[in-house]
Amino acid sequence: MEQHVATEHLQVIRTLMERSALYRRTLAPIMLCVGAVGSAAALGGAALGIEAVRWFCAWWLGAAVAAIAGAFVIARRQAMKDGEPFWSPPALRVTQALVPPLVAGLLFSLALVAFAPAGLRWPFVLGNAMFYGCAVHAAGFFMPRGMKLFAWLVIAGAGVLLFVRPGLLPGMGARLDHALMGALFGVAHLAYGVYLYVTDPRKTAA
Amino acid sequence: MNPEPLLQLDRVIHEKGRLAIMSMLAASPELSFIELRETLQMTDGNLTTHIRTLQEAGYVSVAKSYRNNRRLTTVSMTPAGGTAFTDYLALLEQIVREAKPR
Repeated sequence: MEQHVATEHLQVIRTLMERSALYRRTLAPIMLCVGAVGSAAALGGAALGIEAVRWFCAWWLGAAVAAIAGAFVIARRQAMKDGEPFWSPPALRVTQALVPPLVAGLLFSLALVAFAPAGLRWPFVLGNAMFYGCAVHAAGFFMPRGMKLFAWLVIAGAGVLLFVRPGLLPGMGARLDHALMGALFGVAHLAYGVYLYVTDPRKTAA
Repeated sequence: MNPEPLLQLDRVIHEKGRLAIMSMLAASPELSFIELRETLQMTDGNLTTHIRTLQEAGYVSVAKSYRNNRRLTTVSMTPAGGTAFTDYLALLEQIVREAKPR
């Protein structure tokens, strides 16, 4: 009997300690924002015919800045609405986990801008998808609800494309690379955002 | 060895609601009143009562401030609370260990 009570208490303690360390801001609007920016950037990039690797990188780095700014605004608004500090301990942990792979991706992109031949866009697409997947996976340790699985899907998708992209639809050129960026950073995020909305425990708990 | 180790458990922490508060504070340097209330699904009155009991025992400290023109109440565990919680965990683990068949 005593053992049963003690085991039960230890389990409750472990669960609550894990929950306390999680980043609990609503992720759905952030995912939808990132997905919308990614999809718009893909359509815009293809429509404008951005082809040279330098401009391709600049265009997508600009999209990344816009997506991060949007996510920041949404998270800050939620924090203000709840009367909580923006830089809560879980928010700091998530940021600390995200930054190293994202900086690595940025340096990789800058190296491509400096040294890659004009038409070599696909290493930018797939390299950034992998760095981004690693960043999300690292942050996933402090986030609930399938974030790590989502990161693995991005990494796996980029990994598969890494092997098939060089021989894939050579006639499409830059449009294909914009489409791949749109699929990985746009559509995938939109789908995950919708999933988060549909399965939001706050809705189902009511 | 005490024949009834459960009786040695800190009664302030052992209560279900206060144990939940202490568990959350053990994993985070500080938490807001709202975070605690929403995660633990307690009423304002219930949470306030438990926090007051923990505060009187010297296990938590409460800070009130203003952020963006809103009142913000944050709760954190004191060093004495940390020690009491660690002792409580150690005793629970001891109970589980001793009950296991050898």
